[in-house]
Amino acid sequence: MSEAELLDLAARAIDRDTWSIARLITLFEDRRPQCAADRALVLKHLERAGARPDGRFLGMTGAPGAGKSSLIGRAAQRLIESDHQVSLAVLAVDPSSHISGGAILGDRTRVRFPLDERRLFFRSQASDQELGGVSRSTFQAGRLLMRLFDLIVVETVGIGQNEIEIQYIADRVYLVMQPMAGDQVQFMKAGIMEIPDCFILNKCDQEDATRPTYHALRVSMSFARPGEERQLPVLLTSAQSGAGIDDLVADWKSVRNGHGRHSLLDREAYYFQRWVRDEFGRQGLLRLQSSHGSAVDFLRKAGDFDQAQLKFAAEQAN
Amino acid sequence: MSEANGKSKHLLYDNGGQAVRDQPWIFRTYAGHSNARESNKLYRSNLDKGQTGLSIAFDLPTQCGYSSDHAIARPEIGKVGVPINSLDDFHTLFEGIPIEKMNTSMTINATSMWLLALYVALARERGENAALLQGTTQNDIIKEYLARGTYIFPPEASLRMIAEMYEYSLGNIPKWNASNICSYHLQEAGATPAQELAFALANAIGILDLIRQRGQIQGEDFEKVVGRISFFVNAGIRFVEEMCKMRAFTELWEEITRDRYGVKNPRYRIFRYGVQVNSLGLTESQPENNAWRILIEALGVSLSRKARCRALQLPAWNEALSLPRPWDQQWSLRLQQILAYETDLLEYPDIFDGSVVIESKVGALKEEARKEIDRILGMGGVRSAVESGYMKSALVRSMSERVSRINSGDQIVVGLNRWTEALPSPLLGGDDGGVFKIDPAAARETLEALQKLKTQRDGSKVEKALQRLREAARSGQNMMEPSIECALARVTTGEWAGALREVFGEYRPATGIEGQKLMLEDQRVQDLRKRVDDYAARNGRRPRIVVGKPGLDGHSNGAEVIAVSARHTGFDVIYSGIRLTPEEIVQSAVEENADIIGVSILSGSHLELADQLMERLRRSGAEIPVVFGGIIPPPDFDALRQRGVQAIFTPRDYSLMDIMEKIMTLIEERQAARR
Repeated sequence: MSEAELLDLAARAIDRDTWSIARLITLFEDRRPQCAADRALVLKHLERAGARPDGRFLGMTGAPGAGKSSLIGRAAQRLIESDHQVSLAVLAVDPSSHISGGAILGDRTRVRFPLDERRLFFRSQASDQELGGVSRSTFQAGRLLMRLFDLIVVETVGIGQNEIEIQYIADRVYLVMQPMAGDQVQFMKAGIMEIPDCFILNKCDQEDATRPTYHALRVSMSFARPGEERQLPVLLTSAQSGAGIDDLVADWKSVRNGHGRHSLLDREAYYFQRWVRDEFGRQGLLRLQSSHGSAVDFLRKAGDFDQAQLKFAAEQAN
Repeated sequence: MSEANGKSKHLLYDNGGQAVRDQPWIFRTYAGHSNARESNKLYRSNLDKGQTGLSIAFDLPTQCGYSSDHAIARPEIGKVGVPINSLDDFHTLFEGIPIEKMNTSMTINATSMWLLALYVALARERGENAALLQGTTQNDIIKEYLARGTYIFPPEASLRMIAEMYEYSLGNIPKWNASNICSYHLQEAGATPAQELAFALANAIGILDLIRQRGQIQGEDFEKVVGRISFFVNAGIRFVEEMCKMRAFTELWEEITRDRYGVKNPRYRIFRYGVQVNSLGLTESQPENNAWRILIEALGVSLSRKARCRALQLPAWNEALSLPRPWDQQWSLRLQQILAYETDLLEYPDIFDGSVVIESKVGALKEEARKEIDRILGMGGVRSAVESGYMKSALVRSMSERVSRINSGDQIVVGLNRWTEALPSPLLGGDDGGVFKIDPAAARETLEALQKLKTQRDGSKVEKALQRLREAARSGQNMMEPSIECALARVTTGEWAGALREVFGEYRPATGIEGQKLMLEDQRVQDLRKRVDDYAARNGRRPRIVVGKPGLDGHSNGAEVIAVSARHTGFDVIYSGIRLTPEEIVQSAVEENADIIGVSILSGSHLELADQLMERLRRSGAEIPVVFGGIIPPPDFDALRQRGVQAIFTPRDYSLMDIMEKIMTLIEERQAARR
């Protein structure tokens, strides 16, 4: 794309024009090396126009069938009804096929946002055979969205215990479970139970099933996370009846108004290291450390994330 | 030979030496279109031709609980059945037809309670005894979630309505079949014979367990309810296996009613079923061959006397092309008449009794079905198996296996993947090209009648009736009588369903395509994957397709098979299930920055939906190519192309790799043009 086109897209994106944001996300997800320069240009322009990287990330994780998508859809709509300023984008990650590399991105099925509502945006991503519950592109798309929206909800793939990547992106991590998932709670306590900041028991219209699960969860939490000073919150919700949605919305709002867990630089350093490892392996990581100190130092020197990628790649090519 | 009363008597003859002739089944034709007046004309002429029962097709808005003047209803009015907005429409629909003597079957599900309420209200206003009404409301919500798509409410509320209809019918309309368990649509969605047996029987168990658990009907009355459970079954082209399936059904039902429900009266343990034979296997290419397929499929459900259907309706030879014309329906009716009256079919007792081969096949089907029933019951029954997506996934898997077999040539379909060269069919000649067209003016009549009704009725009576309905829905009272009151007060279909939507909410089930595989691996698949990978390397991402199912038509098999194929070849696929507005599909495609939009339509509303879709796309500023697939008659191709549709796929394009290659080419061309 030409510079003029990119600037035009960026200007429209600030007004939250859907098609422009959609095309820019594609640019940010694009892993071809030449795209880094385009991204840097877009970000510079956004910065100049006053779009600050202030958006907060909410991580929604949990097993398939727990009702993450329906819950996000319902809470997002309630959020924008209750506050006429706030804006929210969803990034939903679905698994890719190991055979063909393709993916079915089905999370939209349960999230139906009103047409023409520019304060809401939904985008699907394929996990692209990454483990960890998010895609390599999640952080990249997030870098754009955090300059355009107040809140960015990241819905993880929702399979297995290794969905721990989300903690490096999200300012607050929610684990969504459904009643009668007692066995799952046991199963998960070693891995994923250590990550969340808040638990959500969804589908709580099934009252009989809710209570034992609630207690099983409390017990598991004390095993999985001994010595923790304060009890972690457990929200009881139902996407179907709407129960507890207000509590979740209030929790989301507190993240928006509070301090973020990660600074932008922390996140960039983590994902820069990951990128170096993906592209150049352990040798690349060693070279980064030996010639530049830490990822943070290198990012500071390079100016920004995209320049750092360009610079590091150029160094390796020499 | 048997000896009776000391007199030699052949098994086939009665004491008077006459052949023991079976009664013919009920001959039906699934019919209804345009508007109430046109459909009434059609029914009267079908009855004059010797049809012995009515089978009413309703249009999609009526099935999904929208009045004709709702935005989502407009393109669908009168397309696949008759639109019914109020009791006035029912008066028109049944004019001159003696409902107290008629056996009327209504293909209606989510709004069954409403249509039955209208029928009872009609009898009351006509001064007939409503207790004499006989017939069936299809009312099988499970298969709507799994295959047909005209659900509205979540499972719990929907099943409660079915149970309430049984409870009401028992005391008030004892000859009414409140629901009819349909395995028909499961086979259309790809079910194997064992799946068809198991899912249908598990479904029936779900209903009966619920009624028993509600506790309002007990003892002998409960036996009567068991006796009122009837089935609607499919019959495919493998007619020997299908006949065995029917015998397996009757035997398994006998076991279930006796052992699980303790039904003592053998009359109430009989497996009663009606049939529509398979439409899935009917082809658009060489459509005249379908006449033979329909005949053979009819044999599967009529040959075995012990497992013979109670009512039969046959599709028409041109069903893969369009809705049938009156002549097409007449031709299918004649088939039934020849089979029943010209042949000696009805003169024999069961001709398969004692056949070792049949017995062993039936045994094998029963065993497989029992295992599957146990699995579903182990999950907590049919409702859990629907909500978890288990049943839907199983069907999508069976369907993609079937499609894979046809694509690889392992399953022969004459005229489609073998012997495809043929002379032009004279049946497709004539002014209408062998297909049926709805008169666009017909919808106007419906809308005008609705408008008139709304101005003439007593608004306060309407509001009071709706209020009572809401209260009953909330409090758990039976909603039948409040619904009849609504009918008498001239509440509309959309208002009735709207009131209950407020109370129960709307349901979106699992699409069932996550994790599905296509059993197709050959050089073409490999080549296409390579093309997709190359594209991804060049463009920094995989091609993205939005597969959309706009409007109210819920037949999602085509869309699902395309979605699974696209993923199989390496696309990222956005599929959000059925019943989206064209605007929502465009919204998805824009937000997802899709490379192409694939739209599946079987309702006949492709032109109207194309207009809406293209208009929205223009407004969004996005330039995304659009392709259409479904039942689209060739005469409409030009009109679609003029609207900007870039490719059109119909059942004739059965080769998935042909379709995917074409789609990939469109994406590559667009990318090249942008450079």
